[in-house]
Amino acid sequence: NGSKSVVRTLRPEAFKSMIPTIPVTNMVCFFAVSHSQITRLYSRFTSLDKGENGTLSREDFQRIPELAINPLGDRIINAFFPEGEDQVNFRGFMRTLAHFRPIEDNEKNKDPTASEPLNSRTNKLLFAFQLYDLDRDDKISRDELLQVLRMMVGVNISDEQLGSIADRTIQEADQNGDNSISFNEFIKVGNLQHINVWAGDHYLILSYILLSVLQD
Amino acid sequence: MPPRKKTDIAIKMEEVGMDIDGELDSGHEDEVRWRDRNRKVKLSPRAGGRNGKQATSEEEEEEEDEAQSKRAHKKKAKVQDSEEEDEEEEDEAQRKRAYKKKAKVQDSEEEDEEEEKSVKRKGPKAAGRNKKAVKQVSEEESEEEERGKKRKGRKSTIKNQKEGQNKEKKSDAKGKSDAKGKGVKDKGNEKDKKKKNAKYSSSSSSGESGDEDSLSEGEIAAQKEEVEEKKKLIATLRNKPWRMKRRLKLLKECQAFVEKFEGALGKGKGRKLYAYKVIIAKKMIKFNRDFDNFKTACIPWERKIKEVESHFGSSVASYFIFLRWMYGLNLVLFGFMFGLVVLPEVMMGLPYGSIPRKTVPRAQQAKAMDYSVLLDFGGYCKYSVLFYGYYNDERTIGLLQFRLPLSYLLVGVGIFGYSLMVVIRTMARNSDEGGDGGDDGQFTFTFKMFTSWDYLIGNPETADNKYASITTSFKESIVDEQENQKDENIHLRRFLRVLANLFILCSLGGSGFLIYFVVKRSQDFAKLDQNTLSWYEKNEVEVVMSLLGLVCPPLFETIAELEEYHPRIALKWQLGRIFALFLGNLYTFLFALFDDVNEKLEQEKYIKNATIWGLKEYYANYSTFHNTTDIPPPEIPPADVIRGPCWETDVGIEFVKLTVSDIQVTYLTILIGDFVRAVIVRFLNYCWCWDLEAGFPSYGEFDISGNVLGLIFNQGMIWMGAFYAPGLVGLNVLRLLSSMYYQCWAVMSCNVPHERVFKASKSNNFYMGLLLLVLFLSLLPVVYTIMTLPPSSDCGPFSGRAQMYDVVMETIEKDLPAFIGNIFTYATNPGLIIPAVLLMVLAIYYLNATSKNYQNANLELKRKMQMARDEEKNRRNNKESTNQVMHDLVGLLPNRSLIPPPAEEAPPPDNMSEKGSKFPKVAKRPGAVKVKGVNLQKDVSLAAPNSREAVTRPPGPRGPPGNARGPPPGPGRGRGRGAPPPRC
Repeated sequence: NGSKSVVRTLRPEAFKSMIPTIPVTNMVCFFAVSHSQITRLYSRFTSLDKGENGTLSREDFQRIPELAINPLGDRIINAFFPEGEDQVNFRGFMRTLAHFRPIEDNEKNKDPTASEPLNSRTNKLLFAFQLYDLDRDDKISRDELLQVLRMMVGVNISDEQLGSIADRTIQEADQNGDNSISFNEFIKVGNLQHINVWAGDHYLILSYILLSVLQD
Repeated sequence: MPPRKKTDIAIKMEEVGMDIDGELDSGHEDEVRWRDRNRKVKLSPRAGGRNGKQATSEEEEEEEDEAQSKRAHKKKAKVQDSEEEDEEEEDEAQRKRAYKKKAKVQDSEEEDEEEEKSVKRKGPKAAGRNKKAVKQVSEEESEEEERGKKRKGRKSTIKNQKEGQNKEKKSDAKGKSDAKGKGVKDKGNEKDKKKKNAKYSSSSSSGESGDEDSLSEGEIAAQKEEVEEKKKLIATLRNKPWRMKRRLKLLKECQAFVEKFEGALGKGKGRKLYAYKVIIAKKMIKFNRDFDNFKTACIPWERKIKEVESHFGSSVASYFIFLRWMYGLNLVLFGFMFGLVVLPEVMMGLPYGSIPRKTVPRAQQAKAMDYSVLLDFGGYCKYSVLFYGYYNDERTIGLLQFRLPLSYLLVGVGIFGYSLMVVIRTMARNSDEGGDGGDDGQFTFTFKMFTSWDYLIGNPETADNKYASITTSFKESIVDEQENQKDENIHLRRFLRVLANLFILCSLGGSGFLIYFVVKRSQDFAKLDQNTLSWYEKNEVEVVMSLLGLVCPPLFETIAELEEYHPRIALKWQLGRIFALFLGNLYTFLFALFDDVNEKLEQEKYIKNATIWGLKEYYANYSTFHNTTDIPPPEIPPADVIRGPCWETDVGIEFVKLTVSDIQVTYLTILIGDFVRAVIVRFLNYCWCWDLEAGFPSYGEFDISGNVLGLIFNQGMIWMGAFYAPGLVGLNVLRLLSSMYYQCWAVMSCNVPHERVFKASKSNNFYMGLLLLVLFLSLLPVVYTIMTLPPSSDCGPFSGRAQMYDVVMETIEKDLPAFIGNIFTYATNPGLIIPAVLLMVLAIYYLNATSKNYQNANLELKRKMQMARDEEKNRRNNKESTNQVMHDLVGLLPNRSLIPPPAEEAPPPDNMSEKGSKFPKVAKRPGAVKVKGVNLQKDVSLAAPNSREAVTRPPGPRGPPGNARGPPPGPGRGRGRGAPPPRC
């Protein structure tokens, strides 16, 4: 694990010593989580960290059953990792998790001047969107949908049926006729009243699993 | 170090963050207008495209010119030495006040404001530029970013600070000089500073000593604002399109300023207050959080239900939630019953054995304590507070003058009132929350695609089932679609459906008759000597009813297969039929019971007459024998008094027995049908010829519909029986309580998750509707008996009155002032009641009509939305083509003045195109594609191995891994392959 240089400007050992002191304070502010949550998360982090080198690998994440089972689990796990990295340190871990923190009532109208927090609705949706947008072209194409479908329904449905499902999906959500779902369209779908449940609860659930499962 | 260290995800996050930064920079109220505009810009793809395209330098130049011209007439003397300087100026405009430029220092306040305005106007564009900034991410970026984020975070902690309106020049200047001084420090120092800053954030009230003690409130406010701005700048600095050197310098200065003044914010008077505020705010947040946790922890069985939910999905959990709801309801009912009827009677009423109705008759006393008798609720059980007959008819009891009979009647009726209210309220809330849960058709597949996975599932078995259920749901949707088109062999299907309904009607009628027959027979048995009867003969009714409940539902299910309904509809039919069965059984049972009651009434009349006659004889004899008119009542021990059958108690006993047998059957079914079966399947599987687990017996599934219906009917029994057996509610509370634990255990240990999980929210209101129906139906017999049947003359709180509701009349007459009685008389006048009923009917009609109108309006709106959507689609498609041309033209413009220096040139186009691609038109711009193709492909190939790396374990249901994971890298994918032909 010696080849990565980016995040490793902070060595694991340094990290461990830093955790109780300054970064926690920073993270408290940045992620708007409480000290106790951070300490809990940190203990969870260390318990996940089987290699005990202050970073998590993909294998570490896959030990979480909820993630291992999830058809999109790998993609969620990938979201934790900076590109080209095999390790994620506590800070990166926290940063990704911060997306999932539920929006609390008292935050909604707290301070209009503050920049949008990571856990805002848009950012949550964006996170979700990127789970589907594999090639990162800001569009969910038919092929990407097909991949997700294959993951979700396995081989129980014939290919042409899958294709028709994907077509129908795009047909429903697509607004500008480019045969793919852009983030704006994705948000629009998410803005429908029905799916409020989704963007709210569904990804709250995701946050729930990640925060609770990871915190355990 | 590679130039791009973050995943694309991270970068995109930042991009969005930047949008938002740009947007929120303008937090002040007067900038709302600007924000709106920005939003508009963000939302509409066209503008967005521009936004994304912003990266081209032309626009920036424009802005700059603008800003400069604004400034021009203010600052004549200002020298614009270099391009860099220009840039700086623009920066200044962007973040309202920068302290960098010493040369142009100390413009007037108006000018600052002017600048601010220009910033506002430029806001949206600035956002676009921010996006561009991402491109320029270079080596320091990640560090920068982290710092920035930290600062942002810190900012968020001090959000509470009030922002002042004015800017304080003095501090300003001071800050500048200060910043200047510190600006020389190197990077290492800066890091230290960062830490210091962090400390500040945690103890931001620990003011720094300074010379601003004389500052006024307004000045402090201004200073606060100043600091806020600084912090904002720090937070957004990394997005600014400047060279790294400059950014670092600026950063240092800002940091120094913030460090210097943040602590001083609360100088003097305000400091303590501010400190308190901060502390209190923190404590409040913590307290709220803890309180929320506490509240969650206080919800009974929340953990248990969540556990079940995670294993069995929300539909099974919905049953337990329903059970919990039921438990709550019954607890309240129990509170009423116990607090207002049972407890007063026990505390203040006459003790056991004092009067005949509270004493076991002599004939039964020998066996009154026998286990078998007690199990049948005879003996001491029958003559206890559990049943109607025990209550005395004294108008008031005890020191408190508690009007027990009145209370009894009111509680009996009030239970219905309360239940009705609660059920309807819950239904209304449910329908408000979940709607009907049906598919709107607009986004069916989209929702399924994006939302079907339950992220809480952590159990492989459940996951498999979830895969299956997703598959099924997709299949269902396909089937739905197909079914809409085909209608083959409709006659055969109709015939089959009629046939099936015929069968079911037959079996329903048969079961009804069977129950009627059995009840009749049990009445005959009751006349015989109890000792000669076998256990079966004594409990025939219960046994038969339970058997019917066991046999009929599967039978219906089998018959229903003839119908070939859509499974969803089939489920409702099934529920309705089982409901009808239960209902039929219940009502047959009730009618039989009424026969019984009538018989008992006759019997009672006879006994009453006999008693009166006997008394008369006694008085006659006594007066002739003792020759006195002062006759003491006959001294018969209470156990020996001849008494009537007391039909109310008998009815109560019937209900209690029914409830108890229901409990027994339910629990035994679970024990045998689930537990024993699971044990057998599990352990015999080792030595069996076929696979028991996968094959025939398998493990049981949790029967949601049956359980919920059972619960509902049980509740019906409670409602009906509670009037005659006040103890029934308590029994039910115990039952629900034990049932919660027992069923939770059973479901977790012996059941397997469903293969098809039907939507919980939908069925929940369906169940509520059934519950409401049952409530109404059980209301009828109770009200009927209260209003028409004469109460027994020698037992119960209403004995000696012609009707039960006479208690109310009595109270009105005797205890309330006369005019209230008058009012009541008028109110009960048919002349008043009929109009009232009429009015209510009219109101219902009106409300119904209104709701229909609303429904229509809703439909209309939906249609309009659909139309608008289509229209938008069309319009966009049209626009796209024109846009295309525009973009081509724009691309041709020679505009390279703002292109970043070569060192930073490599990343930008890549990122920019990514940015732009958020908005399809830009992505399709042919001009752009040519240049960016290479980078894009790199992009794709970067993404692909990445996602592939994650695959370490081939999961079963996910299908071919090669297909499932990661896009196949190569030129064929993504935008890189070139622009798809524009539409229209």
